[in-house]
Amino acid sequence: MASDSSPANIHGGPSSPDDWATSPISNTVSSPGDPRRPKRGRRSSYATPSPLPSDARFATPDATPTPSGGNSRPRGRGRRPSGTPTAAATPSSTDDAPMSSEAGDGDDDEAPPMYVWGTNISVQDVNAAILRFLRHFRENPQQIEGKYMRIINHVIEVEGDSLDVDAHDVFDYDNDLYAKMVRYPLEVLAIFDIVLMDMVSRINPLFEKHIQARIFNLKSSTSMRNLNPSDVEKMVSLKGMIIRCSSIIPEIREAVFRCLVCGYYSDPIVVDRGRIDEPTTCGKQECLSKNSMTLVHNRCRFADKQVVRLQETPDEIPEGGTPHTVSLLMHDKLVDAGKPGDRVEVTGIYRAMSVRVGQTQRTVKSIFKTYIDCLHLKNTDKSRMHVEDPMETDNGASRNDNESTLDEDKVEQLKELSKQPDIYERLTQSLAPNIWELDDVKKGLLCQLFGGNALKLPSGASFRGDINILLVGDPGTSKSQLLQYIHKLSPRGIYTSGRGSSAVGLTAYVAKDPETGETVLESGALVLSDRGICCIDEFDKMSDNARSMLHEVMEQQTVSIAKAGIIASLNARTSVLACANPIGSRYNPRLSVIDNIHLPPTLLSRFDLIYLILDKADEQMDRRLAKHIVALHFEDPDNSEQDVIDLQTLTAYISYARKHIHPQLSDEAAEELTRGYVEMRRRGNFPGSSKKVITATPRQIESLIRLSEALARIRFSQLVEKRDVAEAFRLLEVAMQQSATDHSTGTIDMDLITTGVSASERMRRENLVSTTRNIIMEKMQLGGPSTRLLELLEELKKQSNGAEIHLSDLRNALASLSTEGFVVVHGDSVKRV
Amino acid sequence: MVGLPYDCLANPLGAVRLTFEKAVASGSDPATLDGKDWGAAELFRQFLFDDDGLSQVPMLNQSTIKWVQPNTLVRFRGMIQDMLGNEYYVGAYKDGNMWRTNKFADTSRSPMDASSDMRIWERRLLYCVPIPGQNSWVESSHEAVRNPYTNSISPQREKRQREDDATMADVDMVEPGHDLEDSPNPKKMREDGMALEPLGLQKIAAEGNLSTLSLVPDAERNSLPCLVKIYDSTESDLKLNDVFEFVGIFTFDPDFTVDRDDNDELADNFCEDTLVCLPPTKVPRLHCVVHRKLAGADFLSGPQLELTPCVIKEVREALLGHLTAVLGNDRVAAQYMLLHLLSRVHARIDSIAVGKLSLNLTCFNKESISVFGNHLKLAMENLLPFTQCLPLTVDYLNTVSLAPKKDYHTNRLESGVLQLAEGTHLTIDETSLQTGTLNSVGCENARVLKNMMDSQKVEYDFTYYKMEMAADVQLLILSEGKSNILPADLVLPLRPSSVDSALGVDGEMLKAWRWYLATMKSLPHSIEPHMQKAVEDDLVAARQADRSLGSQDFSRWLTMGRLMSVSFGETCLSMEHWQMVRELERLRKERLLGNM
Repeated sequence: MASDSSPANIHGGPSSPDDWATSPISNTVSSPGDPRRPKRGRRSSYATPSPLPSDARFATPDATPTPSGGNSRPRGRGRRPSGTPTAAATPSSTDDAPMSSEAGDGDDDEAPPMYVWGTNISVQDVNAAILRFLRHFRENPQQIEGKYMRIINHVIEVEGDSLDVDAHDVFDYDNDLYAKMVRYPLEVLAIFDIVLMDMVSRINPLFEKHIQARIFNLKSSTSMRNLNPSDVEKMVSLKGMIIRCSSIIPEIREAVFRCLVCGYYSDPIVVDRGRIDEPTTCGKQECLSKNSMTLVHNRCRFADKQVVRLQETPDEIPEGGTPHTVSLLMHDKLVDAGKPGDRVEVTGIYRAMSVRVGQTQRTVKSIFKTYIDCLHLKNTDKSRMHVEDPMETDNGASRNDNESTLDEDKVEQLKELSKQPDIYERLTQSLAPNIWELDDVKKGLLCQLFGGNALKLPSGASFRGDINILLVGDPGTSKSQLLQYIHKLSPRGIYTSGRGSSAVGLTAYVAKDPETGETVLESGALVLSDRGICCIDEFDKMSDNARSMLHEVMEQQTVSIAKAGIIASLNARTSVLACANPIGSRYNPRLSVIDNIHLPPTLLSRFDLIYLILDKADEQMDRRLAKHIVALHFEDPDNSEQDVIDLQTLTAYISYARKHIHPQLSDEAAEELTRGYVEMRRRGNFPGSSKKVITATPRQIESLIRLSEALARIRFSQLVEKRDVAEAFRLLEVAMQQSATDHSTGTIDMDLITTGVSASERMRRENLVSTTRNIIMEKMQLGGPSTRLLELLEELKKQSNGAEIHLSDLRNALASLSTEGFVVVHGDSVKRV
Repeated sequence: MVGLPYDCLANPLGAVRLTFEKAVASGSDPATLDGKDWGAAELFRQFLFDDDGLSQVPMLNQSTIKWVQPNTLVRFRGMIQDMLGNEYYVGAYKDGNMWRTNKFADTSRSPMDASSDMRIWERRLLYCVPIPGQNSWVESSHEAVRNPYTNSISPQREKRQREDDATMADVDMVEPGHDLEDSPNPKKMREDGMALEPLGLQKIAAEGNLSTLSLVPDAERNSLPCLVKIYDSTESDLKLNDVFEFVGIFTFDPDFTVDRDDNDELADNFCEDTLVCLPPTKVPRLHCVVHRKLAGADFLSGPQLELTPCVIKEVREALLGHLTAVLGNDRVAAQYMLLHLLSRVHARIDSIAVGKLSLNLTCFNKESISVFGNHLKLAMENLLPFTQCLPLTVDYLNTVSLAPKKDYHTNRLESGVLQLAEGTHLTIDETSLQTGTLNSVGCENARVLKNMMDSQKVEYDFTYYKMEMAADVQLLILSEGKSNILPADLVLPLRPSSVDSALGVDGEMLKAWRWYLATMKSLPHSIEPHMQKAVEDDLVAARQADRSLGSQDFSRWLTMGRLMSVSFGETCLSMEHWQMVRELERLRKERLLGNM
């Protein structure tokens, strides 16, 4: 019943909005010339195992008997229009008169082949095809019982009322049936229902419920924008976001009337095209009083109905357009299946109805309103990577509906991608492609996205798998852009700015419910980004109070609350990605990282990687920048396209890896780790040097493990190999070289990070103290006159031949001497005691 | 138009019908036509453009709506404020044995038999409003080309005709005889209409405003929204906030009442809520036949000046002089202002809007803002077609809705202050900003403004998500000190030395300046390889000398370089202009340092 029949249908009668049938199935009945069978009647007939009446609903006048043969189809259950009173009682509307007369013909015929009106689709064929499909479809040949037989049995057991049918299965089994179903859903679904009814009543004759087929997962899903008049009356699948749900509308399905005179109850009267024919006279032979019938509300049957508005998802909207919307009509079970804000995929039948300007007007407004009769609704949210806890992979529950979001093709595609030798490089390139350079930083961020394996020892101790990264750098080095990008990509990211975050805002706070007076715990950003990445911009500008809250989060990954009668420990298994500006906005190379960013070393050491993004005075870089900007202004922007993986794929890739890949350390890799770590530690001991520099701490080895696990994950490898460890070392070293390098010696010094003072600095200070002591011993008498500080500084500078010494250094040295009781400092003068 | 059996102007539907019948007769099958054009658009295009019919088509606005006949051809200029999706209608149907069409019409003229064969076609609905911030000279300039029937038609007669027509429309197609009787009318009017002064028209417009527009919710100064129905166009043609001129068939029926007896909730939910709040009684409908996008130059009137370098230089110098006078004899500021007025976003790369040049004039105080602020405002209004002013106060920020917001209840996009057409000039006056607390609305508004400054994008609020829409708005900020809320590309302390109270400008001069700004703005621009090299070297050298220079500064210089050469009417950056920019920047830097 293509487009040519639909307008007829629309004008035939069901033009007022309230005549939509409750269920999609009944809807199918509203196709032209379809007699409306009472639902209850249908039901009751199904209750009896007798096959004959069960077919009655379906043998619609749609089916036109053809004079040609083929009526010998031995359908045991006799697909013929039944002569049940209801079918006869509801003849199709007058404009479909020829149809109904044909239906009458059908009645006379024994078992003619019936065709869907206006097409050459044989009802019997479709019926047989559906039966075959339901009986014999198997997902793999080993299964003894067909997939749908199993499901039907299950549905009967749980007394469900719908059977979800995967359209992909239909397509695989019988693509002709699939094509027919999509093209003529009203008719095919009606047949589907009949077949189901029939099967169910065979399996369990006492099963009273009416099972409806709900088709989902069509081969192709349409974009809302591309719906056009040719889709009317076809099955479509759409993705979108629910923006509004109407309240639930009880729709009358059957009305019962009572005679006010004699109290006689009429038979249930079924809604026909949105209208109930109120009996004008009492049905009782003895009474027959006129206009005495009144509606008995509590004996009527109602069904739920809801109108939902679906809007295009933002990514489908072309530039400069506004989102399109479409109305959905939900019935029964689907009512309240989605809430506003949900992203859903909807399968349904696209329908149109005419708008009548008014009863009195002669001019018909030639406009149609469209809506979708919803068959199936699935919640989706594909825009972000799927979160999955690497620590608590629940074997039982892991195969939930999440798996449907990544279909097999996609997984294959991802696996194919992972096999590429340069996948690591390609992913790096694809990460924030518009930010150029900073490859090592991007690699670090990539590791953060993939994450390491969290470990929980039986003793209760746990090791985090999340990698924390701090970016420190000059303004205008696109740190914030990187942050924004990661936030967009991360599974459950929260983006906050340090300046605007308070301690409770980050962790959790206790609030009083204004209505009940109960205290409730409200989660803050870190808790909300559990198993995600919490991006904190302007980390340096955060209040100390707020920052101190991070200590616990970043190592123990919990937030403990003890206030207002609530003592709780909340999970905050989040990776922290923070970025900070150096003090005085520009990085001072003469100072250490600690001095530059002014963060407590305790916090700093919790970052696995600290990157310094510096704006170096490099002519090459400047030239590249200049070129870039000149090109930006004067050239076509499209020649800079690179071979990058698009965001969607990247997200899918990362979420798949996070979910399915749990790499283990290989022996080889473990060995390499140990070796590398020892070497790193050893690097601090310079031969012949008394100073001891710590170049690595146990925290580093944990970081290294996490990084190498993440690197293995990037390759979809279940085993951490030697090369991963090597790369992890490289990444760590690059980061450390930038941040932990002691600028006075040029070596890596973990003391810088852990205590804030480098070993060489400490040495220098000690030297200064002893030199000062010597000078004072030489020049000053015990209890003699005091010396001015500046004189002392002059002397000091002379002795240390040219090394730069500041007054503050001298003050520090004198302070330590005075604690020894060697000197007394009074303002600007020094006195030996 | 001799020999044509129909009148495109007065009976466009007749023309549509005729071409349709012709097309059907010549063998095209309506069943397969699928709403595509069958030659009607071609006919109108020929009439409008080749036969110069466009100038005869009345412009639809607040004043003309009173006398424009339904089912005639009108023009409407407006900005697409909201897109209301697609509408399905019975495109073609069989009346007996004849195929008829409903294209370009709201209702079918002959009763459609329910059983008759019909085809559903599709059209787009656009909600258009007059361009926000449009200045009065733009309006008057198209009033002048237009042909008003007005004065001779007395109100009584108009009224009678309206009634006539309403009933006519109800019964059947406008009779051909009626057409004949009607068509000479406009011609006659046209002649004496030419003498009408723009001033008088505006008066009419104002009056019209009072009488009918009180019904329309967002009735502004002269706002007449219009629901435009678009046929045969690809989606990418028409974008939100674009300014278009639509020529189409006008249907508007203030006496029309919608019979709404079935007022239950379901009907409300279904009968596009959008259309319920835009009843045909309040918002006229326009079935668009031809549409074209309007650019800056389309709003100008009068003869186009010739594009000789000499003329350009002259005009530029005069305009610069004018701006200098406006800015209290501050020539540096005037130079910057000129560049600012010529700026537009010419490319978007990633999130960067290339070509924008927002200007922050500082050092205003209470006294100077009242003088220069007003001068500036007046100057902008005189020079640019669309200007808006935004007084920034805490109260204002806390209450106004800057970004457009989708109202899901009515399914409409509620316009915000920042829903502006491309090329609008926005002056933000920060001088009256006092200390105070911003509430959440205020914070959001401040963020939206900042985002607009940074990337020329406005976030539209769709409740469940935000959608960024590209904007191209010239932003001028007036403040006491450097504005931190709205970081502009350029910060320049104003140094006025005198106040010129009489800024008399003659009309011819203004026209030339408008023409200059509109034309120069749209010039293409490029760079020669050797110049590119030189610029790059210069940038590198500058950065070597001053580490604090960043990509933003470079970007700004290049934008200014481009605008500088454009202001001379040149399409290629030359060393001379580049040096001028560097010199200007040097002066600005000096001023900034001197100001500290």
